[in-house]
Amino acid sequence: MATTSAPTPTKAPAPAKAPGREERDQREFGWNVMVWNDPITLMSYVVLVLRKLFGYDHATATRLMLQVHNEGRAVVATQPREQAEVSVAQLHSFGLQATLGRP
Amino acid sequence: MAQVLRRRGRIQVKVDKREREALIGIIDSLSPRLAAPLASAPRAYDDAKLQAEYDRWVRPDIEKGREADLTMVRDALSGGEDTLPLTEAQTLAWLRAFNHLRVAAGEILGIEGDGWEDTATEATKQKPEYGILIALGYLQEELVAALDS
Repeated sequence: MATTSAPTPTKAPAPAKAPGREERDQREFGWNVMVWNDPITLMSYVVLVLRKLFGYDHATATRLMLQVHNEGRAVVATQPREQAEVSVAQLHSFGLQATLGRP
Repeated sequence: MAQVLRRRGRIQVKVDKREREALIGIIDSLSPRLAAPLASAPRAYDDAKLQAEYDRWVRPDIEKGREADLTMVRDALSGGEDTLPLTEAQTLAWLRAFNHLRVAAGEILGIEGDGWEDTATEATKQKPEYGILIALGYLQEELVAALDS
């Protein structure tokens, strides 16, 4: 016996899920500012630049510089995208290799 | 050799006529190379579209700033004085200018990895760009130490 199924009620397509707060925060605020190793720039200069631009104390700036030197790169700040882009531009103006990106 | 001193909170660069002329010569010889895009010019983004926007809207200001830094250093050296007092902002401008010049010199020498000081051949050491790397590196170290003191 054939069965007839009741017509499926027409449903409006579900709206795209609004991004959750965590996702929004990640997108807007979670941009990593990365400094990359280069063979020319002096270690002492990198420490100075990190102190001047990000306000780090000497020990923190030195630790980050050594991470750049030993591992090839280091995240030196995590900021909203616009601020991260400004930070990268400042690093570029000092001649450092720097990028920004999502974690 | 040029000296960088810190006296009563002011930074002073002591540089004689011969050294001033040499530094001006370095700026004049490498500035054209800096005006062209360096192969080592840093990127900001992996994403090509975002990088294109960065190149359009941000990079021109960086290049203007670099030219201003080089002009500031050149003008100071052209003033005929043996002692050049620098504010902190001017010292940072000198540091930036020297770093850009060193990067250009390193690119000319084809330096791609750490340890180049230990592995440079005698032929490389005879090249003017090698001397530029060493001399400007010395001055950068002195300027950083003066800012730290």
